[in-house]
Amino acid sequence: MKLSWLIGALAVVAVALFVVLAWMYILPMDLRDRSPVQPIAFSHKVHAGTNGIQCLFCHSSASKSPVASIPAVAECRACHLFIAPDAPEIKKLMGYWDRKEPIPWVRVYSLPDFVYFPHMMHVRAGLGCARCHGVVATMDRITRSVKLKMGWCLDCHRKHKASIDCWTCHI
Amino acid sequence: MEKMTSPYRWGMVVDLDRCTGCGACVVACQAENNVGICGKREIAEGRDMHWLRIERFWVGEYPNVRVRFLPVLCQHCHDAPCEPVCPVYASYHNPEGLNGQVYNRCVGTRYCGNNCPYAVRVFNFYSHEWPKPLDNQLSPDITVRPRGVMEKCTFCIQRIRRAREDAEGEGRKIRDGEVQPACAQTCPTEALVFGNLADPRSRAARLSRSPRGFRLLEHLGTHPSITYLKGGGREHV
Repeated sequence: MKLSWLIGALAVVAVALFVVLAWMYILPMDLRDRSPVQPIAFSHKVHAGTNGIQCLFCHSSASKSPVASIPAVAECRACHLFIAPDAPEIKKLMGYWDRKEPIPWVRVYSLPDFVYFPHMMHVRAGLGCARCHGVVATMDRITRSVKLKMGWCLDCHRKHKASIDCWTCHI
Repeated sequence: MEKMTSPYRWGMVVDLDRCTGCGACVVACQAENNVGICGKREIAEGRDMHWLRIERFWVGEYPNVRVRFLPVLCQHCHDAPCEPVCPVYASYHNPEGLNGQVYNRCVGTRYCGNNCPYAVRVFNFYSHEWPKPLDNQLSPDITVRPRGVMEKCTFCIQRIRRAREDAEGEGRKIRDGEVQPACAQTCPTEALVFGNLADPRSRAARLSRSPRGFRLLEHLGTHPSITYLKGGGREHV
Protein backbone atom coordinates (compact mmCIF):
# COMPACT_ATOMS: atom_id res chain seq x y z
CA MET A 1 0.00 0.00 0.00
CA LYS A 2 2.66 2.45 1.13
CA LEU A 3 4.91 1.49 -1.77
CA SER A 4 2.21 2.07 -4.40
CA TRP A 5 1.54 5.54 -2.92
CA LEU A 6 5.24 6.32 -3.14
CA ILE A 7 5.44 5.14 -6.73
CA GLY A 8 2.36 7.17 -7.62
CA ALA A 9 3.78 10.32 -6.04
CA LEU A 10 7.10 9.83 -7.82
CA ALA A 11 5.28 9.39 -11.13
CA VAL A 12 3.35 12.63 -10.57
CA VAL A 13 6.57 14.48 -9.74
CA ALA A 14 8.30 13.04 -12.80
CA VAL A 15 5.45 14.08 -15.10
CA ALA A 16 5.33 17.57 -13.57
CA LEU A 17 9.11 17.93 -14.00
CA PHE A 18 8.85 16.78 -17.61
CA VAL A 19 6.09 19.28 -18.36
CA VAL A 20 8.03 22.16 -16.77
CA LEU A 21 11.23 21.26 -18.65
CA ALA A 22 9.35 20.89 -21.93
CA TRP A 23 7.76 24.29 -21.36
CA MET A 24 11.14 25.86 -20.63
CA TYR A 25 12.57 24.24 -23.76
CA ILE A 26 10.07 25.98 -26.04
CA LEU A 27 10.59 29.38 -24.38
CA PRO A 28 10.31 32.23 -25.21
CA MET A 29 6.61 31.82 -25.80
CA ASP A 30 4.94 34.28 -28.07
CA LEU A 31 1.84 35.16 -26.09
CA ARG A 32 1.02 38.51 -27.67
CA ASP A 33 -2.07 38.86 -29.82
CA ARG A 34 -1.20 37.61 -33.29
CA SER A 35 -3.78 39.83 -34.92
CA PRO A 36 -4.48 42.85 -32.72
CA VAL A 37 -7.44 45.14 -33.36
CA GLN A 38 -6.28 48.34 -35.01
CA PRO A 39 -7.73 51.82 -34.37
CA ILE A 40 -8.86 52.03 -38.01
CA ALA A 41 -10.09 48.96 -39.87
CA PHE A 42 -7.40 49.38 -42.53
CA SER A 43 -7.50 46.55 -45.04
CA HIS A 44 -4.25 45.45 -46.66
CA LYS A 45 -6.36 43.13 -48.81
CA VAL A 46 -8.06 46.11 -50.47
CA HIS A 47 -4.92 48.24 -50.80
CA ALA A 48 -2.23 45.68 -51.65
CA GLY A 49 -4.48 42.93 -53.02
CA THR A 50 -7.39 44.38 -54.98
CA ASN A 51 -5.70 47.65 -55.93
CA GLY A 52 -2.19 46.21 -56.20
CA ILE A 53 -0.36 49.04 -54.46
CA GLN A 54 3.30 48.15 -53.90
CA CYS A 55 4.46 47.69 -50.28
CA LEU A 56 7.20 50.30 -50.74
CA PHE A 57 4.69 52.91 -51.90
CA CYS A 58 3.50 53.40 -48.32
CA HIS A 59 6.31 51.75 -46.33
CA SER A 60 8.87 53.75 -48.25
CA SER A 61 11.70 53.69 -45.73
CA ALA A 62 12.04 49.89 -45.90
CA SER A 63 14.45 50.13 -48.84
CA LYS A 64 16.70 52.77 -47.31
CA SER A 65 16.50 52.57 -43.55
CA PRO A 66 16.51 49.98 -40.76
CA VAL A 67 12.82 50.62 -40.03
CA ALA A 68 10.08 50.05 -42.59
CA SER A 69 8.06 53.08 -41.43
CA ILE A 70 4.32 53.62 -41.29
CA PRO A 71 3.03 56.32 -43.64
CA ALA A 72 2.11 59.67 -42.15
CA VAL A 73 -1.56 60.59 -41.83
CA ALA A 74 -0.95 63.15 -44.59
CA GLU A 75 -0.05 60.36 -47.02
CA CYS A 76 -3.28 58.48 -46.31
CA ARG A 77 -5.21 61.71 -46.62
CA ALA A 78 -3.61 62.65 -49.92
CA CYS A 79 -5.41 59.77 -51.65
CA HIS A 80 -8.51 59.63 -49.50
CA LEU A 81 -9.46 63.24 -50.13
CA PHE A 82 -10.65 61.83 -53.44
CA ILE A 83 -11.15 58.12 -52.82
CA ALA A 84 -14.17 57.14 -50.74
CA PRO A 85 -14.13 60.26 -48.56
CA ASP A 86 -17.54 59.45 -47.05
CA ALA A 87 -16.79 55.96 -45.75
CA PRO A 88 -16.98 55.74 -41.93
CA GLU A 89 -13.38 54.51 -41.54
CA ILE A 90 -12.10 57.34 -43.73
CA LYS A 91 -14.05 59.80 -41.55
CA LYS A 92 -12.10 58.37 -38.59
CA LEU A 93 -8.86 58.95 -40.50
CA MET A 94 -9.82 62.55 -41.24
CA GLY A 95 -10.66 62.96 -37.56
CA TYR A 96 -7.04 62.15 -36.70
CA TRP A 97 -5.91 64.65 -39.32
CA ASP A 98 -8.18 67.39 -37.93
CA ARG A 99 -7.06 66.76 -34.34
CA LYS A 100 -3.41 66.67 -35.56
CA GLU A 101 -2.83 63.31 -33.89
CA PRO A 102 -0.88 60.33 -35.19
CA ILE A 103 -2.93 57.18 -35.61
CA PRO A 104 -2.17 54.86 -32.66
CA TRP A 105 -1.51 51.73 -34.76
CA VAL A 106 -0.88 48.60 -32.73
CA ARG A 107 2.47 46.97 -33.46
CA VAL A 108 2.22 43.42 -34.79
CA TYR A 109 5.88 42.54 -35.44
CA SER A 110 8.35 43.54 -32.78
CA LEU A 111 11.87 42.45 -31.90
CA PRO A 112 13.65 42.69 -28.56
CA ASP A 113 15.95 45.63 -27.89
CA PHE A 114 19.06 43.48 -28.30
CA VAL A 115 18.28 42.69 -31.92
CA TYR A 116 19.27 45.08 -34.70
CA PHE A 117 17.26 44.35 -37.81
CA PRO A 118 17.90 46.55 -40.86
CA HIS A 119 15.02 46.34 -43.35
CA MET A 120 17.06 47.88 -46.16
CA MET A 121 19.67 45.12 -46.18
CA HIS A 122 16.95 42.51 -46.64
CA VAL A 123 15.08 44.48 -49.30
CA ARG A 124 18.40 45.08 -51.09
CA ALA A 125 19.16 41.36 -50.99
CA GLY A 126 15.96 40.83 -52.97
CA LEU A 127 14.05 39.17 -50.17
CA GLY A 128 10.31 39.55 -50.72
CA CYS A 129 8.31 41.18 -47.94
CA ALA A 130 6.10 38.09 -47.83
CA ARG A 131 9.03 35.91 -46.73
CA CYS A 132 8.69 37.30 -43.21
CA HIS A 133 5.36 39.11 -43.18
CA GLY A 134 3.19 36.48 -44.88
CA VAL A 135 0.96 37.18 -47.87
CA VAL A 136 -0.27 40.53 -46.62
CA ALA A 137 -2.31 41.09 -49.80
CA THR A 138 -4.81 38.48 -48.64
CA MET A 139 -5.21 39.78 -45.08
CA ASP A 140 -7.91 42.22 -44.05
CA ARG A 141 -6.28 42.72 -40.69
CA ILE A 142 -2.56 41.98 -40.37
CA THR A 143 -1.79 38.66 -38.71
CA ARG A 144 1.68 37.71 -37.57
CA SER A 145 2.53 34.68 -39.66
CA VAL A 146 5.96 33.71 -38.32
CA LYS A 147 7.57 33.35 -34.94
CA LEU A 148 10.53 35.71 -34.96
CA LYS A 149 13.02 33.35 -33.38
CA MET A 150 16.77 33.37 -33.83
CA GLY A 151 16.93 29.87 -35.29
CA TRP A 152 14.51 30.90 -37.99
CA CYS A 153 16.66 33.93 -38.87
CA LEU A 154 19.82 31.82 -38.91
CA ASP A 155 18.32 29.17 -41.21
CA CYS A 156 17.78 31.80 -43.86
CA HIS A 157 21.13 33.52 -43.23
CA ARG A 158 22.95 30.19 -43.64
CA LYS A 159 21.03 29.30 -46.77
CA HIS A 160 21.81 32.64 -48.42
CA LYS A 161 25.42 32.79 -47.15
CA ALA A 162 24.64 35.95 -45.19
CA SER A 163 26.77 36.79 -42.19
CA ILE A 164 26.14 34.72 -39.09
CA ASP A 165 28.55 36.69 -36.92
CA CYS A 166 26.87 37.48 -33.56
CA TRP A 167 27.48 41.20 -33.96
CA THR A 168 25.60 41.26 -37.25
CA CYS A 169 22.35 41.40 -35.32
CA HIS A 170 23.19 41.70 -31.63
CA ILE A 171 24.83 45.09 -31.18
CA MET B 1 31.98 25.10 -41.37
CA GLU B 2 33.99 27.35 -43.58
CA LYS B 3 36.20 29.88 -41.88
CA MET B 4 34.78 33.37 -41.72
CA THR B 5 37.15 35.93 -43.16
CA SER B 6 36.90 39.64 -43.62
CA PRO B 7 38.77 42.35 -45.54
CA TYR B 8 38.73 44.47 -42.38
CA ARG B 9 40.78 44.32 -39.22
CA TRP B 10 39.77 47.30 -37.15
CA GLY B 11 42.35 48.97 -34.99
CA MET B 12 43.27 52.23 -33.40
CA VAL B 13 46.28 54.40 -32.77
CA VAL B 14 46.46 56.60 -29.66
CA ASP B 15 49.08 59.32 -29.92
CA LEU B 16 50.00 60.12 -26.32
CA ASP B 17 52.14 63.04 -27.46
CA ARG B 18 48.95 64.66 -28.71
CA CYS B 19 46.61 63.71 -25.87
CA THR B 20 45.86 66.61 -23.53
CA GLY B 21 43.67 64.60 -21.16
CA CYS B 22 40.64 66.79 -21.79
CA GLY B 23 38.20 63.89 -21.41
CA ALA B 24 36.09 64.71 -24.46
CA CYS B 25 36.41 61.10 -25.62
CA VAL B 26 35.00 59.85 -22.30
CA VAL B 27 31.93 62.07 -22.63
CA ALA B 28 31.43 61.23 -26.30
CA CYS B 29 31.60 57.50 -25.54
CA GLN B 30 29.09 57.84 -22.73
CA ALA B 31 26.68 59.76 -24.95
CA GLU B 32 27.05 57.51 -28.00
CA ASN B 33 26.77 54.10 -26.44
CA ASN B 34 23.88 54.28 -23.95
CA VAL B 35 26.36 53.80 -21.12
CA GLY B 36 24.60 53.99 -17.77
CA ILE B 37 24.63 57.17 -15.74
CA CYS B 38 26.11 56.55 -12.30
CA GLY B 39 25.57 58.48 -9.12
CA LYS B 40 27.61 59.09 -6.00
CA ARG B 41 26.86 55.71 -4.49
CA GLU B 42 27.99 53.67 -7.47
CA ILE B 43 31.18 55.66 -7.89
CA ALA B 44 31.95 55.28 -4.17
CA GLU B 45 31.53 51.54 -4.61
CA GLY B 46 33.83 51.55 -7.62
CA ARG B 47 30.98 50.43 -9.85
CA ASP B 48 30.92 53.39 -12.20
CA MET B 49 30.36 52.74 -15.87
CA HIS B 50 32.99 53.82 -18.36
CA TRP B 51 33.91 52.16 -21.62
CA LEU B 52 36.81 54.55 -21.93
CA ARG B 53 38.71 56.15 -19.09
CA ILE B 54 41.71 58.45 -18.86
CA GLU B 55 44.45 57.24 -16.55
CA ARG B 56 46.47 60.02 -14.97
CA PHE B 57 50.09 59.71 -13.87
CA TRP B 58 52.26 62.21 -12.03
CA VAL B 59 55.85 62.14 -13.20
CA GLY B 60 58.82 63.70 -11.43
CA GLU B 61 59.52 65.28 -8.03
CA TYR B 62 57.78 68.33 -6.64
CA PRO B 63 58.85 71.45 -8.43
CA ASN B 64 59.26 69.60 -11.71
CA VAL B 65 56.07 67.58 -11.71
CA ARG B 66 54.46 66.73 -15.02
CA VAL B 67 51.20 64.95 -15.64
CA ARG B 68 50.78 62.16 -18.14
CA PHE B 69 47.47 60.97 -19.56
CA LEU B 70 46.65 57.55 -20.91
CA PRO B 71 43.26 56.88 -22.50
CA VAL B 72 42.41 53.23 -21.85
CA LEU B 73 39.65 51.51 -23.76
CA CYS B 74 39.07 47.92 -24.80
CA GLN B 75 42.22 46.89 -26.62
CA HIS B 76 40.35 44.38 -28.81
CA CYS B 77 43.12 41.86 -28.22
CA HIS B 78 43.75 39.18 -30.81
CA ASP B 79 44.56 36.77 -27.96
CA ALA B 80 42.02 38.15 -25.57
CA PRO B 81 42.11 36.88 -21.97
CA CYS B 82 38.38 37.62 -21.60
CA GLU B 83 37.26 35.25 -24.34
CA PRO B 84 38.23 31.75 -23.19
CA VAL B 85 36.88 32.27 -19.66
CA CYS B 86 33.29 33.02 -20.64
CA PRO B 87 31.18 29.94 -19.86
CA VAL B 88 28.41 30.94 -22.29
CA TYR B 89 30.52 32.29 -25.19
CA ALA B 90 29.10 35.80 -24.72
CA SER B 91 32.59 37.16 -25.20
CA TYR B 92 33.82 36.10 -28.60
CA HIS B 93 36.14 37.13 -31.40
CA ASN B 94 34.62 38.41 -34.56
CA PRO B 95 36.08 37.97 -38.05
CA GLU B 96 36.94 41.68 -38.22
CA GLY B 97 39.30 41.33 -35.29
CA LEU B 98 36.89 42.85 -32.82
CA ASN B 99 36.37 41.43 -29.40
CA GLY B 100 32.62 41.12 -29.14
CA GLN B 101 30.25 41.00 -26.23
CA VAL B 102 26.81 39.51 -26.84
CA TYR B 103 24.56 41.04 -24.22
CA ASN B 104 21.66 38.65 -24.61
CA ARG B 105 23.97 35.69 -24.03
CA CYS B 106 25.72 37.16 -21.01
CA VAL B 107 24.69 35.64 -17.69
CA GLY B 108 26.86 37.93 -15.61
CA THR B 109 29.56 35.68 -14.18
CA ARG B 110 32.07 38.57 -14.49
CA TYR B 111 34.91 36.14 -15.25
CA CYS B 112 35.80 38.19 -18.33
CA GLY B 113 36.05 41.44 -16.38
CA ASN B 114 38.23 39.81 -13.76
CA ASN B 115 40.49 38.29 -16.39
CA CYS B 116 40.97 41.51 -18.34
CA PRO B 117 44.41 42.97 -17.60
CA TYR B 118 43.29 46.40 -18.78
CA ALA B 119 40.16 46.47 -16.54
CA VAL B 120 38.05 47.95 -19.30
CA ARG B 121 34.99 45.75 -18.95
CA VAL B 122 32.25 47.15 -16.78
CA PHE B 123 29.39 45.31 -15.16
CA ASN B 124 25.85 46.61 -14.72
CA PHE B 125 25.52 46.14 -10.99
CA TYR B 126 22.31 48.19 -11.01
CA SER B 127 19.61 48.92 -13.54
CA HIS B 128 20.41 52.37 -14.78
CA GLU B 129 17.73 54.88 -15.49
CA TRP B 130 17.68 57.85 -17.80
CA PRO B 131 15.56 60.55 -16.21
CA LYS B 132 12.79 61.89 -18.41
CA PRO B 133 14.24 64.15 -21.10
CA LEU B 134 17.53 62.21 -21.19
CA ASP B 135 15.90 59.01 -22.42
CA ASN B 136 15.42 60.74 -25.77
CA GLN B 137 19.16 60.65 -26.37
CA LEU B 138 19.37 56.85 -26.12
CA SER B 139 20.61 55.40 -29.38
CA PRO B 140 18.02 53.09 -30.95
CA ASP B 141 20.71 51.19 -32.85
CA ILE B 142 22.24 49.59 -29.80
CA THR B 143 20.96 47.69 -26.84
CA VAL B 144 20.19 49.38 -23.54
CA ARG B 145 21.93 46.89 -21.29
CA PRO B 146 19.91 45.60 -18.36
CA ARG B 147 21.21 44.83 -14.89
CA GLY B 148 23.52 41.83 -14.60
CA VAL B 149 25.19 42.17 -17.98
CA MET B 150 28.84 42.84 -18.73
CA GLU B 151 29.57 45.49 -21.32
CA LYS B 152 32.55 47.18 -22.92
CA CYS B 153 33.87 49.27 -25.78
CA THR B 154 32.70 47.99 -29.17
CA PHE B 155 34.69 50.43 -31.37
CA CYS B 156 31.21 51.87 -32.01
CA ILE B 157 30.05 48.79 -33.89
CA GLN B 158 26.80 50.55 -34.81
CA ARG B 159 28.80 53.07 -36.85
CA ILE B 160 30.83 50.32 -38.49
CA ARG B 161 27.57 48.54 -39.31
CA ARG B 162 26.06 51.65 -40.83
CA ALA B 163 29.17 52.39 -42.89
CA ARG B 164 29.21 48.83 -44.19
CA GLU B 165 25.54 49.02 -45.11
CA ASP B 166 26.20 52.21 -47.06
CA ALA B 167 29.29 50.70 -48.71
CA GLU B 168 27.52 47.47 -49.64
CA GLY B 169 24.67 49.47 -51.13
CA GLU B 170 27.19 51.15 -53.43
CA GLY B 171 29.09 47.90 -54.03
CA ARG B 172 32.44 48.96 -52.60
CA LYS B 173 34.59 48.54 -49.52
CA ILE B 174 34.52 50.93 -46.58
CA ARG B 175 36.90 53.80 -47.32
CA ASP B 176 39.62 54.89 -44.93
CA GLY B 177 38.28 57.54 -42.58
CA GLU B 178 34.67 56.81 -43.50
CA VAL B 179 33.98 55.28 -40.12
CA GLN B 180 35.31 56.42 -36.81
CA PRO B 181 34.11 55.80 -33.28
CA ALA B 182 32.69 58.62 -31.18
CA CYS B 183 35.92 59.02 -29.18
CA ALA B 184 38.07 59.48 -32.28
CA GLN B 185 35.53 61.79 -33.89
CA THR B 186 35.41 64.08 -30.90
CA CYS B 187 39.13 64.19 -30.03
CA PRO B 188 40.15 67.84 -30.49
CA THR B 189 43.84 67.04 -31.03
CA GLU B 190 43.19 63.99 -33.23
CA ALA B 191 45.15 61.85 -30.83
CA LEU B 192 42.86 58.89 -31.59
CA VAL B 193 42.97 57.50 -35.12
CA PHE B 194 40.73 54.60 -36.09
CA GLY B 195 41.04 52.55 -39.22
CA ASN B 196 41.42 49.28 -41.04
CA LEU B 197 44.79 47.70 -40.16
CA ALA B 198 44.39 45.11 -42.91
CA ASP B 199 44.81 47.92 -45.42
CA PRO B 200 48.51 48.87 -45.16
CA ARG B 201 47.83 52.33 -46.64
CA SER B 202 45.16 53.38 -44.14
CA ARG B 203 46.11 56.21 -41.80
CA ALA B 204 45.83 54.03 -38.70
CA ALA B 205 47.99 51.28 -40.24
CA ARG B 206 50.69 53.78 -41.27
CA LEU B 207 50.74 55.34 -37.80
CA SER B 208 50.82 51.95 -36.10
CA ARG B 209 54.14 51.20 -37.83
CA SER B 210 55.70 54.30 -36.25
CA PRO B 211 58.92 53.70 -34.25
CA ARG B 212 57.22 55.50 -31.36
CA GLY B 213 54.64 52.75 -31.10
CA PHE B 214 54.10 50.37 -28.21
CA ARG B 215 51.25 48.27 -26.93
CA LEU B 216 49.74 48.36 -23.49
CA LEU B 217 51.07 45.51 -21.25
CA GLU B 218 52.71 44.05 -24.32
CA HIS B 219 54.56 41.40 -22.32
CA LEU B 220 51.29 39.61 -21.56
CA GLY B 221 51.04 38.55 -25.20
CA THR B 222 47.46 39.67 -25.69
CA HIS B 223 48.26 41.25 -29.08
CA PRO B 224 46.04 44.31 -28.78
CA SER B 225 44.56 46.12 -31.78
CA ILE B 226 45.44 49.46 -30.25
CA THR B 227 48.90 50.97 -30.68
CA TYR B 228 50.03 53.78 -28.39
CA LEU B 229 52.56 56.32 -29.63
CA LYS B 230 54.91 58.03 -27.23
CA GLY B 231 58.40 59.50 -27.34
CA GLY B 232 58.28 62.41 -29.73
CA GLY B 233 58.61 65.99 -28.64
CA ARG B 234 60.77 67.36 -25.90
CA GLU B 235 61.13 64.51 -23.47
CA HIS B 236 60.89 60.80 -23.19
CA VAL B 237 58.98 59.34 -20.29
